[in-house]
Amino acid sequence: MRKIRFIIDSDLENVAMVGMSINRLCSLIPLSEINAYQIELCAVEAINNSIIHSYEAALLHKVEITFGFDNDNIVIKVYDTGKSLDKDIMDKADISLFENGEDINKISEDGRGLALIKEVMDKVDYCTTDGKNCLTMIKLLPITS
Amino acid sequence: MEIIEDIKGDVDVLTLKGRLDAGSTKSIKEKINSLVKKNRASIVLDMGSVDFIDSSGLGSLVSCLRLVNKMEGDIKIASLQDQVRGIFELTRLHRVFQIFDDSNTAVNNF
Repeated sequence: MRKIRFIIDSDLENVAMVGMSINRLCSLIPLSEINAYQIELCAVEAINNSIIHSYEAALLHKVEITFGFDNDNIVIKVYDTGKSLDKDIMDKADISLFENGEDINKISEDGRGLALIKEVMDKVDYCTTDGKNCLTMIKLLPITS
Repeated sequence: MEIIEDIKGDVDVLTLKGRLDAGSTKSIKEKINSLVKKNRASIVLDMGSVDFIDSSGLGSLVSCLRLVNKMEGDIKIASLQDQVRGIFELTRLHRVFQIFDDSNTAVNNF
């Protein structure tokens, strides 16, 4: 598997650099523009979660991201050493829960990130080992939709 | 995120440029807030130059729509790039926001 590693400070200003890099790296596979966008989106959402929730938006922490691919898979892993994600939140994340018709007052402003990841990716796993959290996202290739 | 403002009668057209993500939602929220304080609540967001939106960006739009709705106003969205439109559809928000092919059509719909 070809793989690249990024390490950024936990500042939301840094996230776009990783996202845009991953989008461009998708041209090596290659993917359509829309599929590359969705892979970028998942990486961005996962990194945002590490910064906003695990580190509670505190700067000066590190987020590590690996992006790899072979003929069968794209694998993105996002690591942090902050507060671990509640497994229940991961299990319940579902894009269909945001289906609340057209009433703006019944529509949540946040919480779509994990649901989007689960909708786009084929496999999503979260684990914590020795204080290090890892969100693993796998997209099977070739992408058929 | 760059925001360019244009006034067309009672409608404010905000042309957004760049990424609407967790690092840039503050600017759009502040802009909409400033318009609402001036009783300007008929707003078109021209997003033809927005090439990326994430869930935080979408959340900020929901927040802004809720704010202008309280003033009996509305936010209409124009000129979405295909991949951004795809995320609106994936999150079902295309059923919440009125989306138009161009900003002139959106303005005329008020």
